[in-house]
Amino acid sequence: MVQLILFNVLNGLIIGAFYALMALGLSLILNLSGVINFAHGGFLAIGAYLAYTLIPYVGFWGALLAAPFLTAFIGILVERVLIRRLYGRDPLYSLLLTFGLAFMIEDGTRFIWGADSLPYQIPGWLQNTLSSQLFFLTGYRVFMVVLVAVAVLGLFLILTRTRLGLRIRAGTLDLETLSVLGVNVRILRNLNFGLGIYMAGLAGVLAAGMLGLQPTIGDSLIMPSFVAIIVGGLGSLPGTLVGGLLIGVASGVTTVFLPSASEAVMYVLMAVVLLIRPRGLLGEEGRF
Amino acid sequence: MPSGNPNSRLGIGRRTVIKAAAAAGVFQVAAPFVQTARAADNVKIGLDNPLTGTFAALGKNELIGAKLAVEQINAKGGILGRKVELLVEDSTSGDAATAVQKANKLIERDKVNFLLGNINSALAQAMANVSYEKGVFHIVPGGHTDSVTGSECHWNVFRVCNTTRMETNSVSQLLLTSYGKKWYFITTDYAFGHSLQEGFEASLKAANGTEVGHDFTPLGTSDFSANLIKAQAAKPDALILLLAGDDMINCLKQAVQFGMDKKTHIAGAQQELEVLDGLPAEALVGDWVFEWYWKQSNVPHVAQFVADVRKRSGGKVPTARTWFGYASVWSCQLAAERAKSLVPVKMAKAMQGMVLPPEVALMPNNPFYRKGDNQLMPTLFVGHAQKPPTGGDPEDLFKVTEEVKGMDAALPVDQTGCKMTWPT
Repeated sequence: MVQLILFNVLNGLIIGAFYALMALGLSLILNLSGVINFAHGGFLAIGAYLAYTLIPYVGFWGALLAAPFLTAFIGILVERVLIRRLYGRDPLYSLLLTFGLAFMIEDGTRFIWGADSLPYQIPGWLQNTLSSQLFFLTGYRVFMVVLVAVAVLGLFLILTRTRLGLRIRAGTLDLETLSVLGVNVRILRNLNFGLGIYMAGLAGVLAAGMLGLQPTIGDSLIMPSFVAIIVGGLGSLPGTLVGGLLIGVASGVTTVFLPSASEAVMYVLMAVVLLIRPRGLLGEEGRF
Repeated sequence: MPSGNPNSRLGIGRRTVIKAAAAAGVFQVAAPFVQTARAADNVKIGLDNPLTGTFAALGKNELIGAKLAVEQINAKGGILGRKVELLVEDSTSGDAATAVQKANKLIERDKVNFLLGNINSALAQAMANVSYEKGVFHIVPGGHTDSVTGSECHWNVFRVCNTTRMETNSVSQLLLTSYGKKWYFITTDYAFGHSLQEGFEASLKAANGTEVGHDFTPLGTSDFSANLIKAQAAKPDALILLLAGDDMINCLKQAVQFGMDKKTHIAGAQQELEVLDGLPAEALVGDWVFEWYWKQSNVPHVAQFVADVRKRSGGKVPTARTWFGYASVWSCQLAAERAKSLVPVKMAKAMQGMVLPPEVALMPNNPFYRKGDNQLMPTLFVGHAQKPPTGGDPEDLFKVTEEVKGMDAALPVDQTGCKMTWPT
């Protein structure tokens, strides 16, 4: 039993890392622009389908590089054409817009690629398990965790070591002052949205190797991402990371004892955190 | 007026995000509204089936079959000389309230003569209760839970697909004799999965086998890794996957990535071509039951049906779902013509024991609607998933090893729990 729990903790961290990747993109957009992006799961699906389409031409590795950038480009266009118009209005507007956008993306992918699941092939050598004891550690899952770690590290380096990151962080704290100081806030928000969508696209490319590739691929991943943000604390990217990992572990361990509650447990976790520490684990008091 | 904490610069508070998260849940059950133009004197068939969500692909194929049947019926003069019209509603994949609301709309507002649906067993049962209350002739094309033609059967409700018990009975013996008697179940947590598991448990008990564990997983689960870790720890002879749609794809893909197909035997009851089509080659494993298969070289009319469907589905072959939709619509026509009436009770009586003609049956052994529980007794195709044969059709993903007659797999009527009360 102890071994089973330990296995599920380890497995939960792997899944949690994936939730965190998606939640970080969502959190970036929320923090700077105040947009609750319901269409994040849709962008994940776009990333996955673009990779599927690109693989015959550029191979798995080429698709892994290109698809998230293409998804980010689509995200930048969407921000430029649709979302930008709603800044400064009640958050309900952008919430409704992205809600509708999520439907459009889901039906759009169904229209272009069909309703049937598509077989998404990953390189053969990534499919093998690394040890017969830890059989759930496949090459692909380890690769996924490493890539998530690199992406998260890259994101934190961008945010802490680059001018763009400095501006994003400053904008998160006080966008108006940043604007007064001469920073083009429009471009900043646009690039930040693209960065968030890049994370969704990357999550999509990775998810398709593990899950079935279907238009609803993002649906089941959007809720854990929201919960990760709330548990970790609004406004805190490290909090989002911790929230994602916690949800993964909680879900894995619950499966050992009560599998049918493996999904519900994240809401229980959220309720407990909200009761004990309403601002979330690493959220700043008064920040949101 | 921005909501939330006044300290929040963005006007978004924790409460807003929590509300948004709740709305995200609603998003997963909301569905678009589909309707076609119609004329008053047409015979109307209302199809209330998933077009979105986890069962969207299955729903789309049932729709293709239903449309083909409507075309053919209209080309032959319609039903009782009237043109047939198909009204389509998206029931969603898992929201019973939406499915019932759409069924009510089809019955009350559109005045359909026939109601068809649903793929989701729980939704099919909910719709059956509505159609019974309203006295509307109803065919369930593809919702398998036993109760639809069992403990909650109704005189007006007929079913084309098999009961879950028929599916488990048809494959149990093969699994018990070939792979051993220690089974672990991963089961989708709703009516369909529950009744499949009950069926297998009955077979296992009769053979003095052991259930070494089971996991009920919520519909729409994407990650099965924790369940698979648990299953592997139980060291079963066979890992029985009682899932459907995208859940089955996700679980099979992950099980094979974990190498579980090499440690234990993967099997289950119902398998669908839509699922196998969505799997990479290495995940085409396991023993299953197909309810209809497109490769039946010796059965009349099948080749023509396959060709007709290919023309309407971008070259893809029909699946069991396509045939369910097709046979359901044709059953409406056969019932009305046989009863010479569109009065539901007359049609329901005309359907008792009715044998499907070969051009509709498209399978051996003369499938018929059994008197007493309104369940079609078709042929079940037992076999295993396979990689497409070299030089063969890329959609030939299943090898049929045994054809089981429906009557040999079904429980006798008096054991189904069906007690039908006819209107006086």
